[in-house]
Amino acid sequence: METLVYIALFAPFVSSMFAALFGMSPRKTFVGIVASLLLLISFAASVMLMMHIYATGTGIHVRMMDWISAGDLSIPFGFLVDQVSVTMMVVVTLVSTVVHVYSIGYMDHDKSFNRFFSYLSAFVFSMMILVMSDNFAGLFIGWEGVGVCSWLLIGFWYHKADVTREENPSISPSWAANEAFIMNRIADLGMLVGLFIVYWNVGSLQYDAVFSALPHLSGTVLNAAALALFIGAMGKSAQFPLHTWLTDAMEGPTPVSALIHAATMVTAGVFLVIRANPLFSVTPEVSYFIAALGTFVAFFAASMALVNRDLKRIIAFSTLSQLGYMFAAAGLGAYWIALFHLAAHAFFKALLFLGAGNVMHAMNDELDIFKMGGLKKTMKWTYLYMGVASLALAGIPFFAGFFSKDAIIETAYNEGTLVLWAILVVTAGMTAFYSFRQVFLTFEGDERYKAFGIHPHEMYKFVLVAMSPLGILAVIAGFGKGSFEHFVTKLLPEYHMSEHTHHIAWLLGLIVLAFAVSGIVLAYKKYAKKLVRDEKVENSFIYKLLANQYYIPKLYEEFISKPYAMISEHMWKDVDMKIVDATVDGIAKFLYKSGDGARKMQSGNLSNYLNWMAVGAVLLLVVAAFSAMLG
Amino acid sequence: MLQPINVSLESLNLITLAPMLVAIAGGLIILVLDLINSKLHKTLYVMLTLLILFIDFGAVLGLNVNERGFFDVMLIDGVSIISQLMIIVASMLFIPLSLTSKRFHEYSYPEFFALFLFMIAGFQFMVTSDNLILIFVGLETASLALYTLIALHNRSNSFEAAVKYFTMGALSAGFYAMGSAVIYGLTGSIELYKVAAVLSLRMDEASIMIAIFGASVLLLTAFAFKLSLFPFHTWAPDVYEGASAPLAGYMSVVPKVAAFVVSIRIFGMYIDLGIEWVRIIILVLAVGTMTLANIMALVQEDVKRMLAYSSISHAGFIMAALALDTTEGTTAIFLYYALFMFTNLGAFAMLWISRHKVRRFSDRYDNPYEKFAGLINIMPMGAVIMALFMLSLAGVPPFSVFWGKIYVMQAAVNSGYVWLAIVMGLNSAIAAYYYLKLIVFMFLKEPVKSVDTVYYNLSKPLMAVIGLATVATIGAIFYIQPLISYIYYMISASGY
Repeated sequence: METLVYIALFAPFVSSMFAALFGMSPRKTFVGIVASLLLLISFAASVMLMMHIYATGTGIHVRMMDWISAGDLSIPFGFLVDQVSVTMMVVVTLVSTVVHVYSIGYMDHDKSFNRFFSYLSAFVFSMMILVMSDNFAGLFIGWEGVGVCSWLLIGFWYHKADVTREENPSISPSWAANEAFIMNRIADLGMLVGLFIVYWNVGSLQYDAVFSALPHLSGTVLNAAALALFIGAMGKSAQFPLHTWLTDAMEGPTPVSALIHAATMVTAGVFLVIRANPLFSVTPEVSYFIAALGTFVAFFAASMALVNRDLKRIIAFSTLSQLGYMFAAAGLGAYWIALFHLAAHAFFKALLFLGAGNVMHAMNDELDIFKMGGLKKTMKWTYLYMGVASLALAGIPFFAGFFSKDAIIETAYNEGTLVLWAILVVTAGMTAFYSFRQVFLTFEGDERYKAFGIHPHEMYKFVLVAMSPLGILAVIAGFGKGSFEHFVTKLLPEYHMSEHTHHIAWLLGLIVLAFAVSGIVLAYKKYAKKLVRDEKVENSFIYKLLANQYYIPKLYEEFISKPYAMISEHMWKDVDMKIVDATVDGIAKFLYKSGDGARKMQSGNLSNYLNWMAVGAVLLLVVAAFSAMLG
Repeated sequence: MLQPINVSLESLNLITLAPMLVAIAGGLIILVLDLINSKLHKTLYVMLTLLILFIDFGAVLGLNVNERGFFDVMLIDGVSIISQLMIIVASMLFIPLSLTSKRFHEYSYPEFFALFLFMIAGFQFMVTSDNLILIFVGLETASLALYTLIALHNRSNSFEAAVKYFTMGALSAGFYAMGSAVIYGLTGSIELYKVAAVLSLRMDEASIMIAIFGASVLLLTAFAFKLSLFPFHTWAPDVYEGASAPLAGYMSVVPKVAAFVVSIRIFGMYIDLGIEWVRIIILVLAVGTMTLANIMALVQEDVKRMLAYSSISHAGFIMAALALDTTEGTTAIFLYYALFMFTNLGAFAMLWISRHKVRRFSDRYDNPYEKFAGLINIMPMGAVIMALFMLSLAGVPPFSVFWGKIYVMQAAVNSGYVWLAIVMGLNSAIAAYYYLKLIVFMFLKEPVKSVDTVYYNLSKPLMAVIGLATVATIGAIFYIQPLISYIYYMISASGY
């Protein structure tokens, strides 16, 4: 079994190194094929591990080698494969295998084809380290690793020039990459503080040691640690107020958006909360804050998606919104439900993104859904995939999202947090509306793209086939709910609905369904025939507020970026140049001047030299006399 | 009637004289060869000299530690063996540098090689004795030969350098002779171990202290001159400039090693006797030398003069280790020179490669910085190697001189002289400026003149020597530990 662990972990690493060998050479299809095969191996190993753990019910703990041991600090390279991490492993490797195959088709014409696979596999490796590590330090390494890979991949088309915010809200790929990285670094500082608090108080970073030491810690310490760790999670999972980077990250190639910014990396924050559930269960205040923030983000992101016109950005907002759902569940103590939604969401969201990629490919990289329409004629399969994924996202029975999202909303009711429940229900309706607004605008109605002279075409066959596992899972994943619960609650705390909730579960479900269906119907009425633009609505304050993302990116720029740049400039010109540099230069000038002075000794005249020797002898005598007298 | 002196051959222990005799005999053979046939090519003499040095090296290795011989004036201890080995190795590196592609005046004379071997014999006598007279004889033999070697370079500033060096050397010899005379007057002996025994009995007499005072200041002046310590260093830049580049590099190592050995014997004895002010004046000399030489090196416009000042500064560095008078400190002296030797000889050899018959870049200097501008474009390998030597001299890890510096500092800290280590650190920082200045010129500036002439003097033997120096400079990290152990063992075996 240990071998399987290493195969699952290192196959992506080998793949990355292999692709890197050809990083500088022109496109070679076999690089993509080999990388995909290695990912498939990793996936197979993960599935075998899952079956093993399902059968035995116990996790596998391997210790590869000692990594850091300095003084009292000892951090081994250890890996823990249990119910939680194996779920993540299967999800990550499955989605990334599909995305690898998909990329062979999607990146077809890109001259940096090989480099792309190297980065993509490196990302998977980092993500595997993140989920498999048996200690917080390893988790942090993976955490930073996925951050770097995300930076590399968002900025993959780094050669594109910066444009204004009006032209493109994310300015340029390299700008978006930097924004994502810096935002994450800010949050990572919180995470690091959390790790320091844990290490300072427990003396270890191993999960088991930390969790068994929790009962001995004071409430303040626990709250501080939980809050600091959650700040890290907020960055990676793009929760408010660190959410702006995620929509800008759509500048990266679409497979990247599917893999990193929908299915895997952004769920790392949720994973952290689930992984550290013993800590969060003993800090109810922090947990409640998580739930409230999650609910708020779910609504907040959904509201922005209502009016957006950019295909990928709409999906990105919906990702944000669904991450909010997951945090709501985790914050309310239903960790297994959060993990379930995480897995189900990964499948249909990746599918949705890949479908969007197909559309982009067909539309020559056009992303404005107002310029599309009627694509169902040429892109039947993509329409089917995106339709299924949207049904799952909207929570229509009996697609995957129905089971998981419904459970979260039910949890909110069960906990008695009716405000959260109400918001989540409304958000479910909004979700249904914006997903189908997008689907209908893209595939139904009049063919607006013709005005722009675009000739859409369906994606390659093998790409469509490669997407099918995700399509199937988006439909059936929900039926695994019972066995999934049975599987992960061996490790995670069980969560049961109260008798009362159980009784009215059908009613709660019906309410949610009513919202969802009415959302779809509204979208159908408004957009399915043809696009009718309402000037009055589009000029209204609320519409503008939403379309500009509540002016938050602008706010950050005006109140954080610009003042910071101003302070930096002052520090450079006034403090660094005038004080620090001047001091250093002063010392250098003084030394140089004294050198010039001492040069006079070197006259070249022999008599002078002889005089100097005599003077030296006398000086020595004087020094000797003084020191003899004083000594 | 006088009794005939009856000395048994065994008691003379003539083997102790073997190394010097090899060198002297070798010098004589060369002279005789020239008498027989005056048309012999210089390569023969070079190879012959190398051969003799090899035999000399073997003879030194064959010596037993801690033996006396020849009426007890010869003293073979660990210090003398290490220093002789270093002198011979440095000489073996130096001699092939005469096989340049261009002809130079001095190497066409066989006398050059004979004098060179006599000089080595002189240094060897200096380091293998604690008899003040024998030291003096060795010192003067070596110095007189050296003055001549400088003058043989046959340029007006070489003559000037030789005359300056000779005159000032004469003055310092005077100081040495007077200092020794005072010691003899005080103790009735010229053997240092007997002097120490007598002095330790009479330490509490006030009058004797005044005499010791005079004697030690006189001797210190003489050796400060040899070691080019401030303010007795004035000869060094002019002489280095006048001498050929290899000889200048040689002078910055070999005579100083010999002078350090004698200094360790004489001043170490004083410090051991508890005469604390000797330590203080040595420290004053050391700190003054390393600082002022550094500052003066900053403003030099000629690379060779800069290297001259930098050698002075390094000598100050090492002088500080002498003041510590611990086994570690003494080890540091030899370790430093063993590492410095390769790097510094390598750097001077790089100047030798670019030697021209006429000054092309400046009326005043042979090697102005401008000459090396843009060397990376003209001679990439040469520029990189020169940069390595500069980084090593600046004490950048992991190159050789770094280990020497760190060991000296460690010795200072272990003896409680933390301030000294700090002064050394600051000086190293200042020194980095002028070493890096050359690197800036080589790598970041455009060449000034036509590109054809910089590697004018290059030849295979020169490349071999420079390659060896480069390997020793880069590979220090691999041999540093055994080297330290060996030196430490030899030093502690001879009781220092």
